[in-house]
Amino acid sequence: MEDAPPQTTPDAPQDMKVSEGRSARRVIRRALDRASGSYRALGTLIALGVIWLFFSLKSEYFFTTENIFNIFLQASNVGIIAAGLTVVLIAAEIDLSIGSLQALSGSVAAVVIIQHGQPIWLGIVAGLGATVFAGFVSGMLTWKLKIVSFISTLAMLGIAQGAAFLLTNGTAIAGFGDTYALIGTYTFHGFPGAAMIAIVVFVLIHLMLTQTKLGLQIYAVGGNAEAAEFAGIKAGRVKLVTLMISGLTGGIGGLILSSRLDAGNGLFGANDLLAAVAAVVIGGTSLFGGVGSVVGTAIGVVMIASINDGLILLNIPDFWQQIVIGCIIVAAMAVDQLTKAARLSIL
Amino acid sequence: MNALASTSVTARQPVLEARGISKSYGAVRALSGADLSLYPGEVLGLVGDNGAGKTTLVKCLSGVHRPDTGEIVIDGTVREGLSAEQTRSLGVETVYQNLSLVDTLDVMQNFFLNRELVYRNPIARMLGLMNKRGMYRETTERLRELELAVEARRPVAALSGGQRQMIAVARAITWGKHIVMLDEPAAALGVRQSLQVLRFIRSMAERGVAVLFISHNMQHVLQVTDRIIVLRHGEKVGDLVTAEASAQQIVTLITGSDLVVAGKDMVV
Repeated sequence: MEDAPPQTTPDAPQDMKVSEGRSARRVIRRALDRASGSYRALGTLIALGVIWLFFSLKSEYFFTTENIFNIFLQASNVGIIAAGLTVVLIAAEIDLSIGSLQALSGSVAAVVIIQHGQPIWLGIVAGLGATVFAGFVSGMLTWKLKIVSFISTLAMLGIAQGAAFLLTNGTAIAGFGDTYALIGTYTFHGFPGAAMIAIVVFVLIHLMLTQTKLGLQIYAVGGNAEAAEFAGIKAGRVKLVTLMISGLTGGIGGLILSSRLDAGNGLFGANDLLAAVAAVVIGGTSLFGGVGSVVGTAIGVVMIASINDGLILLNIPDFWQQIVIGCIIVAAMAVDQLTKAARLSIL
Repeated sequence: MNALASTSVTARQPVLEARGISKSYGAVRALSGADLSLYPGEVLGLVGDNGAGKTTLVKCLSGVHRPDTGEIVIDGTVREGLSAEQTRSLGVETVYQNLSLVDTLDVMQNFFLNRELVYRNPIARMLGLMNKRGMYRETTERLRELELAVEARRPVAALSGGQRQMIAVARAITWGKHIVMLDEPAAALGVRQSLQVLRFIRSMAERGVAVLFISHNMQHVLQVTDRIIVLRHGEKVGDLVTAEASAQQIVTLITGSDLVVAGKDMVV
């Protein structure tokens, strides 16, 4: 049976040379392959444009520089943790603890800076150190004990938030002072500094994913961990690194949040997980690994922030936000499924 | 050419040896004391029925599985507990039956998987910045040499079974400078591509590469190998010089009985 009868690979001999008649189809096919990733991002971008247009028509305040900058400010926290989550998802793992990690880093910074009167840099280092360590622990549990990240990071979700509450005694430790407040409130000609931090995080992660060996390893491990192992890539170690990256982004998000709220507490940021997952999914990153980009995530995050902002401007009750975002997730997934089917029928 | 190669080969030292390899998966004994020696410049056929332990033996040799007992000797040195990566760094390249390609990556990325070209300058090296242009150029060139009409940036998932197999084989042929193990490299290929793969295998051996070739296709085995090892129930039951062996003799060793299909080619 290994002596494969010709009909199982009918196109094999013809494939050897490019004949005139097939070349047109080949060009279309190649263009579709190449563009499929960017088409996905383009589609999300168009959807964002439609949403902006809709709110602009409904509210004269929506499309003002001030309000757009405000959207970027609102998007920066969730954006930063969603960028880290994207990396984890591409590696075919998940990090459910990112919301809690924000609460943890803010609380650690508050205890170090406010309660112990230590310098700001030390509070920042301690806050980020705590969340990177948390990511390290989740990653090691996944790598060495083979506990799936869904469970190890679910455990970390509870542990990190519990630790944040313990550190702060269940209250908000407030009063960072003016310097620390700059992290979250600095503006340059009205453009929020927090959004600048988010942009830097996105650019760095994008370059890491697309230009470095580590990035390619993350895609390889998420696409086919066994094949990656056969090629000598240590899949468990790569997954550990992705969880440490999302630990770091969770920490950065928490510091910005604590700076804007001028306090650290076990609740601050803990509810951002769902919005982050929504942004990543809207951005086209696969929950099954191997596929995705932070470019899509960036658009997804701005989309969610725009909807929240627009609904507030239109005086629509808060509860509608969640319903609308839920519907958009379903719509994004439906479009993905339909285009996938269409692509398969063309190819 | 086969007979010539095999007589000169036996005088030399083997580059890869398996001595008494045993491996069990739970209660299933896949290998019980299998031996094998592979010499530079020869193509060694590894044949046996389904479940005879061929693939398990290859996975033990390539470091994917750890044998329960027995020794693996590479270039005269006993190697214990090598990982797949360490084995590969000793110049052992393997094509597995399931091809081990990453479907979500493109041809170029699969071709260079974990061997990516990195820019020379020290900072780029530290960051692992990939030289994508260089990788694209090399992949395209290689594909042309192998007469594969496949675009280097095309995702592997979009390729046909035969094209995927050719990519996996091409990868092993390109990087295999010392020892190459091919587990059913022609299984999904059409006639023409199969012959091309056999040609590649022969030219590799002529360059001095030691090739281990696993196949169910007796024609392919007789055509391309210098020597044939037969596995049955996890043990070596035959070691023949191809030029002196007949298909029927091999089939008898594989099955353990005189199974003759009257009037048919001996394609098992």
